[in-house]
Amino acid sequence: MSVVAILIASAAWAGAPTDQLKSGIDRVIKILEDPTMKSETRAKERRAAVRKIANDLFDFGETAKRSLGRHWQARSEREREEFVNLFADLLERSYIGKIDLYGGEKVVYLAETIDGDLATVRTKIVTKQGTEASIDYRMLQRGDRWMVYDVILENVSLVSNYRTQFNKIIQTASYQELVKKMKTKQDEFTLEEDAALKKGVKN
Amino acid sequence: MKRSFVEVGVGIFVILGALALGYLSVKLGKVELWGRQGYVLYADFPTVGGLKAGTSVEIAGVEVGRVESIILSPDFQARVTFRIKSGIKLQEDVIASIKTKGLIGEKFVRLNPGGSDRLIPPNGKIREVEAPVDFEELLSKYIFGKV
Repeated sequence: MSVVAILIASAAWAGAPTDQLKSGIDRVIKILEDPTMKSETRAKERRAAVRKIANDLFDFGETAKRSLGRHWQARSEREREEFVNLFADLLERSYIGKIDLYGGEKVVYLAETIDGDLATVRTKIVTKQGTEASIDYRMLQRGDRWMVYDVILENVSLVSNYRTQFNKIIQTASYQELVKKMKTKQDEFTLEEDAALKKGVKN
Repeated sequence: MKRSFVEVGVGIFVILGALALGYLSVKLGKVELWGRQGYVLYADFPTVGGLKAGTSVEIAGVEVGRVESIILSPDFQARVTFRIKSGIKLQEDVIASIKTKGLIGEKFVRLNPGGSDRLIPPNGKIREVEAPVDFEELLSKYIFGKV
């Protein structure tokens, strides 16, 4: 009896961050495995669907703020908003494009630790060949939701990586230069994307 | 009269020599004699690799403190205690990473300052950490991943 009570209690307690993360990732995998969504012509639709889930799962504002580090405080309200959008675009073109390469990798949920309003969910990805890669998700509580703000791949933190890069650019050039750089990259990407899409339609 | 003058001279010389030796051992051994300065923070790492107590803690390559101790935390993580110089204020979202000097050099701790307006109080916890990257493991994964 008491064992059952403990089991239920621990399941309820341990659940929140892992469950919310798992439901998000499962939804993404479902879209990627959906045979009707696989065709080239639906690439844009597929990406939009993935981005929608990512918006529910990730707190891009928090990730952007942490990545900008100590330079965040000096930004005005408008600059912050602009930066968060540019940063979300940067993440999208760096990672959501890669997600099309998904080939049946398994996600294993290893452990979860909660520390106040922050949580870490440790997972690993197992490829069909059996190669493993560890991915830890850092999450924070926003009301009853747990949102991901940092992804740690093989002990390398995404926020830490961008914080170092952004800091370097701001120190050697300026914040305006960083924004300009991010804008040009995004414009180039949209152009390429359109070109690739047109080509895909012709074929 | 002359003999006692020599004896006093030798005595002074011996005392000076002993003081110099004492100074040298304190300096080389990095012993802190007059109480420890700065404040203490701690962080839990999944693993610390080869980090040792006494290693430097750096921001932008500048030493701002030292690793005071490394013990096992109750949930089997490595709890690292840092002593940070008193003038250095660290934000709540500062990231503590264990880095390697060069590709195979010794380990040290790098702090990457954050943008939060809240500071970590003395004896507080650094919650954002990066464990050291295991290059050998990555390399073997890369090699076998290709098969």
